[in-house]
Amino acid sequence: SGGSWARGLLSWARPERWLPTCSLFPLSCIHTSTSLLQKIGKWEKKNRIVYPPQLPGEPRRPAVIYHCRRDIKYSKDKMWYLAKLIKGMSIDQALAQLEFSDKKGAKVIKEVLLEAQDLAVRKHNVEFKSNLHIAASLTGRGHYMKQIRYHAKGRFAFMRIVRCHYFVKLVEGPPPPPEPPRTGFDQAKEYVQQLRNRTLVHTL
Amino acid sequence: MLVLVCSPLPRLRTLLQRCWGRLERGLLPGGLGGQSPPWGPALAVQAPAVLPQAADDASESSAEALGLLESILWMAVPKKRRTIEVNRCRRRHPSKLIQVKRNIDTCPECGNLKQKHILCGYCYAKVKAETHLIQMEMRKKEGGPFKAPTVETVVLYDGEKPSEKDEGKRIIERARKRPSWFVQN
Repeated sequence: SGGSWARGLLSWARPERWLPTCSLFPLSCIHTSTSLLQKIGKWEKKNRIVYPPQLPGEPRRPAVIYHCRRDIKYSKDKMWYLAKLIKGMSIDQALAQLEFSDKKGAKVIKEVLLEAQDLAVRKHNVEFKSNLHIAASLTGRGHYMKQIRYHAKGRFAFMRIVRCHYFVKLVEGPPPPPEPPRTGFDQAKEYVQQLRNRTLVHTL
Repeated sequence: MLVLVCSPLPRLRTLLQRCWGRLERGLLPGGLGGQSPPWGPALAVQAPAVLPQAADDASESSAEALGLLESILWMAVPKKRRTIEVNRCRRRHPSKLIQVKRNIDTCPECGNLKQKHILCGYCYAKVKAETHLIQMEMRKKEGGPFKAPTVETVVLYDGEKPSEKDEGKRIIERARKRPSWFVQN
């Protein structure tokens, strides 16, 4: 009864946030230590939100899976090109493109996508593993380190060991149709609309 | 990358000293008056003709070297920092993005993905593995380097007998069923 009272009180304020997997039984939830090395990232925590059951008339909410890999030994700028390639594709098409890409990050991203697909089928109630599309794929800067690099004639320099993170969000369903490119006509229409929206301010 | 000189070469040090001196003289032109600078091609011109040949050569070579060192100051160098907006326009230009490949198909044999003009990776790997085992058998039979026979080789699998055509050929036995893709002649 305490749990239902809490749910009723807080249902108006983002109910999914207040029903994590371990809310009703705090002793059974996994206790995470907040040490510097073991910090759970925000992207991993996105998988933990639990929505309240849907009402009969509501449209079905598609399954969403967040997955990431941390501290990949690759540059975030180079990884970004691969992330941009697979944005908005279906998972099969993305895997096909990555398999025949010559880049080092392609292999890593392929592993991440296969892991995420496996997670989706086993834990997130996704029926068909092909019925997923990539809603978001991002890269982030990982931990950098500095190291000495020796040149000729006794000179030296400091080089950076760069690492990156890769984040992917899979959503169930076919990929959305690509939006048509913005033509000059659209831009002109928007400009004319902006001119029409102008009005007199601070007047009667 | 920042390059640090831990044991600066004397040439670089003299160049830097000369640059500093020139800057000072440029800032205070009236201080020293119309004195000619101690370096530069003018040195060779002002030297008297009675100097020995060795001194002339030394002065000419030093003048050339100094001219070369000074010409470093007129190298192409960025004037302003490129803003992140300009950098993004260049890095994200469509010509720099990775193209979507349209030549990917499925292999009719195994069903894996393959590019249209390239052999299927899975099928190639399985053929390579079988070839490797056949080659191990051949090496065992030969027993050393440079002992390859001068006759043809025939590979026979379980339950196969050599035919009349394989009279004089070397026979390699493989202890498994014939794979479906290895057609027997």
